[in-house]
Amino acid sequence: MMPNPHELAIHVDAVSKRFQLGSYSEYSRLTEVATQSATSWLLRKLGRSRASSSVSHSRRGDDRFESDGFWALRDVNFSVKQSEVVGVIGHNGAGKSTLLKILSRIVTPTRGRVGVRGRVGSLLEVGTGFHPELTGRENIFLNGAILGLKRSEIRRRFDEIVAFAEVESFLDTPVKRYSSGMTVRLGFSVAAHLEPDVLIIDEVLSVGDQAFQRKCMGKATELGTQGRTVLVVSHNLAAIANMCSRAVLLDQGLLVADDLPSKVIERYLATMSALDGVVHWAEDQAPRSANVRLRSISIHGTASDTPTPQVDIDAEIGVTVEYEVTTPGTINTVQILLKDESGIHVLTTANAPSMNAASDPSFGSPLEGGVYRTQCRFPPNFLNDTRYFVSVNLGPELGKPTISLDSVLSFLVHDTGAMRKEYLGSWAGPVVRPRLAWSTHGPLPSDSDLSGNT
Amino acid sequence: MSSPASQHEPLRYYGQPDPFGLKQLVEGWRSRELLYSFFLRDLLIRYRQVFIGVLWVLLQPLLSTLIFMGLFFILGAGNAGATFRYAPIILIGMLCWQLVNNSLRDATGSLVNYRHVVTKIYFPRMLLPLSSLLCAVFDLLVGSVLILPLCWGLGVSISWSTLWVAPVAAMGLIVFCFGCILWLSSLNAQYRDVGYALPFALQIGMFVSPVVYDAQRLLPILGHNWIWLYEANPVAANIGLARWAILGEPFPSIAGLITAYAITLILAISGLAWFRYADQWMADRI
Repeated sequence: MMPNPHELAIHVDAVSKRFQLGSYSEYSRLTEVATQSATSWLLRKLGRSRASSSVSHSRRGDDRFESDGFWALRDVNFSVKQSEVVGVIGHNGAGKSTLLKILSRIVTPTRGRVGVRGRVGSLLEVGTGFHPELTGRENIFLNGAILGLKRSEIRRRFDEIVAFAEVESFLDTPVKRYSSGMTVRLGFSVAAHLEPDVLIIDEVLSVGDQAFQRKCMGKATELGTQGRTVLVVSHNLAAIANMCSRAVLLDQGLLVADDLPSKVIERYLATMSALDGVVHWAEDQAPRSANVRLRSISIHGTASDTPTPQVDIDAEIGVTVEYEVTTPGTINTVQILLKDESGIHVLTTANAPSMNAASDPSFGSPLEGGVYRTQCRFPPNFLNDTRYFVSVNLGPELGKPTISLDSVLSFLVHDTGAMRKEYLGSWAGPVVRPRLAWSTHGPLPSDSDLSGNT
Repeated sequence: MSSPASQHEPLRYYGQPDPFGLKQLVEGWRSRELLYSFFLRDLLIRYRQVFIGVLWVLLQPLLSTLIFMGLFFILGAGNAGATFRYAPIILIGMLCWQLVNNSLRDATGSLVNYRHVVTKIYFPRMLLPLSSLLCAVFDLLVGSVLILPLCWGLGVSISWSTLWVAPVAAMGLIVFCFGCILWLSSLNAQYRDVGYALPFALQIGMFVSPVVYDAQRLLPILGHNWIWLYEANPVAANIGLARWAILGEPFPSIAGLITAYAITLILAISGLAWFRYADQWMADRI
C-alpha cells in the first residue's frame, strides 16, 4: 500500500484533529482560561493513559463528541503521488474542510503529521485578503503575495491576470466599488495564475454561475494534466468523476474508501442515500437540538407506507420527517431542500402557511411533547428521472435551523414512460420535468380585424 | 528523476520542532516579499481618502511637541529660552513614544482583524504584526527628519560626535516593540481582553516613561540609588540614550541600561518562542 516515498507529493500520516467545543472558539476571558487550563493540566497529569486511548475508542463510529471536544478527523492515512488528481467527498461535517485546512497548514493536527513536496497552493476562498480600500492593481499584488507568488511573477503575469478577469478599465478603482462578480473574477484570476506543485482546492471556490464553476474545474483539470498534484473537495460528483484519477471518501472523520472515483462515488451514494429510502436514528445517536430530536426521515411513493429509494415519475413523492418534541411548548418548523447530483439546488420548501398548498397548523404554534410526523408531498410528473438529495432543516424559525442535515437521504425518480409517449429522446439535463398546462388558441382574428374593431 | 524541480525537493513535514522559534525568522525572511506587500497595504490604507496624506507623519509628532511646549511654557513661568531648549527633548521623546504606541496599538489587533485571512490560508503569521511594526518604524524615520531643522531653528546645539548612538537607541526600542507585539498579537487572538487593556497600559506607559519630561527631573525624587530601576524600563532607557546621543543630555544610568537591554532580549526571545507555540492553535481559536 505504501508507495515509494520519492514519488509522494502528499503524505497524510495518522492524522487526527480534535476541536474544543465551547468557550475558546468564542471570545475567551483570561480568568476562565487560567482556571480551566490549570484543571485540564491536572486532569492530563492524572489521566494521560485515558486520553491517548480515546482515538481508538471513538472509532466505533458515533462518539466523535466528547464532553468538551469533537474529533473532526480520526486517524486518517493516505498519500497522493505526484501528478495525481484526487477528489475528496463526504457529507457536510465529515471532516473534508478540516483535512484541507490541515493540508494547507492553516490548522495543526492534534496527532499525526502531514508532509507535502514542493510549493503548495491552497485555494479555500477566492480573493483571500482583498482589501476594499485598495485598487484592483494593488489587490492583485497583495492577493498574489498572500497566495505565495513573488512580485516578479505577478508582474510577469499581470496582463494575463487582468485580461482573464476582464477588469482592465477598473484597475485603478478601489475594489469596494467593484460589483461582487468583478471581485470574484479578479480573485479567481489571480488564483488561476498560481503555478504550484501541489494545488489544494475547496469547492467553496466554485461559487458563482455555472460558467464560472466550469472555468474553475477546467483550470483544475488543466493543472492535473500539467503534471501537478491536485486535491479537490467537491459535492459535485460528476466533476469528481470526470477530473479525478482517484477519490477518497470521508465519513464522520474516518477515511472509509480510497479507490477509483466511480467506485468511491457509488459507495458514497450508498452510505448517504440509505438504500431502503429511510434513515432511522437510535435515540442516543439522533441529531438533536435542545428541544427536538429527530427519529427518521423517509421517502414514500403514492399512497404507500413502505419507504422506498425509488419512486415512479408519475407518482406523488412524500418526504416524511419524524421527530420527537422533548420540551413541551416548543415551536418548530420543518424545511426541506432538494439538490440534484451535481449539487444544484433545485428547490426549498417549508411547512409555512404561505408556502403550503395544504395546511399545517403545527407551524409556528407551541407543540406538546411527543412524536410528530411532518410530511411534504411533491406532485407527480414534476421531477426529472434522476437522483435527488434531500436536506432537512428543523428549528424554531425558518432560516435559523437548530438541526440541519445536508443531503441526508437520496431517491431516484424512475421514468415509467408516462411522460414520453410522444418523445423517445433523452431527458438528461433539466433538473425538473414538470407537466405544465399547455394550450393553443386559434386561429386568432387577424390584425386587420383587430384594428377594425377599435 | 527527470522533470520538475519539486521532484528533487524532499517531502517536507509541517510543524518541525522549533523550540525557540528561530526557524520562524528564517521562514519570515523567505517571505519578505509578502511582508513588503502587507507593509505597503497598511501604508496605503492609512492614507486613502486623506487629503494631506503623508504629511500627517510629520504633523503628528510636531503638533504634540507644540502642545507640550505650550504647557511647559505656561507651567514653567513663561521662560522662553528654557522652553526652546526643551522642544527637541520633547520631540525625541514623542517620536520614540509614537514608535512604541503605534506599533503596539496596530500590531495587537493585526491578527484578529485579519482572521478571515488567517483562517483561509497559511503564511508566516508573524508578518502581520511585523508589518504594523514596519509602519511605525517608517513613521519614526520620516519623523526624525524634523529633529535637525527644529534644533537649528531654535538654536539648540547638536552633539555630532555621539549622534551615531541614536540609531542604536532606535534599534533597541524596535527590538523591544518586536518582543511586545509577538506576545500581544498572539494573546489577543485568543483573549480579546488584551485589546481592551492595551490603551490603558499605553497611557500609563507614556507617563512612566520620560516622554514629555526628562528623566533628570526624577533624580531628586528617586535619588541615585533608585533611578536605575526607573531606567530599567526599556522605553525610558532608550529615550534617555537617544537624548544623550543627539542633544548631549545626561547619560542614563549604566545599571538601568543593562537591565533594560536584558529585558528587551528576554521579551524578544520569549516572544518568538511563544508565538511559535501559539501559531499551532491560532486558526482554531482566533
